[in-house]
Amino acid sequence: MKFHWFNLMPWPHLPEDFRETNRSVWVDVDSRLYDPVEGHRVYNEYLDQLEYAATLGFDGIGVNEHHQNAYGMMPSPQIMAATLSRRTKDVTLLLLGQSIALYNPPTRVAEEMAMLDVMSGGRLVAGFPVGTSMDDNFCFGSNPATLRDKYQENHDLILRAWQDPEVFSWNGEYNKIRYVNLWPRPIQKPHPPIWIPGGGSVETWDFCGKMGYNYSYLSFNGYVRGEALMQGFWNRLGEMGVEFNPFQGAFAQQVVVAETDDQAEQMYTEHLQYFFDKCLHVYPGFADAPGYRTENTIRAGLRAGGAQGLGIAHTLEWKDWVREGYIVAGSPDSVTEQIEALATKLQVGHLVTLLHCGDMPDDKARASTKLFAEQVMPRVKHLWEDYEDHWSPKPIGSEQVATPAPVLTGSN
Amino acid sequence: MAELKTLDLRPGGQTAHVWQGGNADSPALLFLHPITGIPRWGDALESLANDFHVIAPYQPGWGPAKDDLPGVRDALDLVLFNVDLLNTLGVGSAHVVGVSIGAWIGAEIAAIRPDAVQSLTLINPLGLWSENHPGEDPFAQHPGFPTAVLFSDPDKRNELLMAERDPMDAYVTELLDLRASAKFLWPIPDTGVGRRLVRIDTRTLIATSEHDNLVASEMGDIWRAAIPGAQSVEIADSGHIADLEAPEALAELVRSFALEGVTA
Repeated sequence: MKFHWFNLMPWPHLPEDFRETNRSVWVDVDSRLYDPVEGHRVYNEYLDQLEYAATLGFDGIGVNEHHQNAYGMMPSPQIMAATLSRRTKDVTLLLLGQSIALYNPPTRVAEEMAMLDVMSGGRLVAGFPVGTSMDDNFCFGSNPATLRDKYQENHDLILRAWQDPEVFSWNGEYNKIRYVNLWPRPIQKPHPPIWIPGGGSVETWDFCGKMGYNYSYLSFNGYVRGEALMQGFWNRLGEMGVEFNPFQGAFAQQVVVAETDDQAEQMYTEHLQYFFDKCLHVYPGFADAPGYRTENTIRAGLRAGGAQGLGIAHTLEWKDWVREGYIVAGSPDSVTEQIEALATKLQVGHLVTLLHCGDMPDDKARASTKLFAEQVMPRVKHLWEDYEDHWSPKPIGSEQVATPAPVLTGSN
Repeated sequence: MAELKTLDLRPGGQTAHVWQGGNADSPALLFLHPITGIPRWGDALESLANDFHVIAPYQPGWGPAKDDLPGVRDALDLVLFNVDLLNTLGVGSAHVVGVSIGAWIGAEIAAIRPDAVQSLTLINPLGLWSENHPGEDPFAQHPGFPTAVLFSDPDKRNELLMAERDPMDAYVTELLDLRASAKFLWPIPDTGVGRRLVRIDTRTLIATSEHDNLVASEMGDIWRAAIPGAQSVEIADSGHIADLEAPEALAELVRSFALEGVTA
């Protein structure tokens, strides 16, 4: 099993009465709550944590894209991955991902990801989410009625731009470019591994099955609720005749580890409460612009009784969070057991751990991360060892890796 | 009694799903539905059918035409759809009545094919934007009751739009009708029609509803000022979807204006 360390990069200073004074953490959140000088400190702290995780043996470190969002302060995952590419050496750069429907022309995405793959020596995972309605439709003004069509076209253009050695013309519905000729090209051939973060749309499962992409279920509902959805994905792949391989699936999970179960509860409750209470406080009117979901997905959701879960997490307590899988938490022994249960239920080979939660301070994030890396990972890494992982990067050999010069001292 | 037919349009063969009612010898009236489509042959259409040959198509993307949305991209495509429909029915010109997004389509038809329009009644028109009067965002609504904001009282969504229909189908249609509207009005309902309104030389009436959460009465003034010679009235006790909330008042003002040139 592979483990990735991911930080949503939340703003850690939302006020006590945030829910009462803001209708949403996303889209129209009060910008006066943000302090750019403190933001400078926070960015550096979060980037340091990602680099720290790389030194502890995590397989990947992850960044993502959100806009106008107080719990996700990475409008550009490429900028984050770029700085990480220079300060890490072997670890996978999990760019999970870029909402490719937003960019016109999407060859810009192809270029930037090619740059990252080259800069990092072939360590990039390219995540291509459709993106959330909040980001795509409400923050970027992308039309929900055409979003999925545009996503598909942009995907096709990026793939061809990475692979076609000839100059070509692209006469699409959403992009018209007379001369496409990417320069530079990615190191990884035919292209970096592609992961598709999704939230349960049937069309996305089919897309992953058809294209052979990794499907990453990124929710904050936890692994207990995630089981039915991941099972739906595996069943669909089975129907399509795709041979099962756990590494074709990834799952994101909040995880906190301490010396004992009690200590974990004492140390982390307030930060998880901050996350569930404030960071997930999204105005429902921004969640699902008309056309964002397909008719099939709407009907499937209605038949399933509608998605519940996130709406209530903030009303629950520690023991409920653990029981219902919103968090994997406790001593190294407890967490190991829960990870084994997660792997069995979801059958995923890639776990994207969210070991920094809410407004967690640096020392706690590092303590939790260190315990997980040293006392949990070694005991669960063997899971799925009989399967070959086709969805991790294939970097260049160590003899070819360039070493950045040390940071210069003095004023520069 | 009215009937819903599926027609192949000429030229091109595009399909139209169209309600027709009234006497075929009566003056033709093209009804262009609002964001919420045509949930049924309702009281407004029935009343209008006393005096008109009512032609009420689902625009491509709405209701039974939900799968036709990819075929239309902009105002011109919608104008051609409606003109081709009249052509197919052998109707040279019609009184055009549009509500909400339908009013925008009506204005486009009058600007581009003035010969096809005998009179133009635009009710709670969308399609122009003013930062001073943005109105509620029809697309940023709670998914549990996505069109409630279109009514003067949110409970009227159930009473007037959803009632007596299969709940799941009615809800899915509600969302797909909103999707079709979003295709043309997202993210800001500035369709560009403002550049063309000066071309309208048909006699025109602008009506705004007293309790419309989307289109303020001031927007009615902006529309009136942009269309040469246009007049305006207010519809009392109604929200945005005036054909459902104030069917008789709507029918009466259309009758008076289209047939007699009177603004009641």
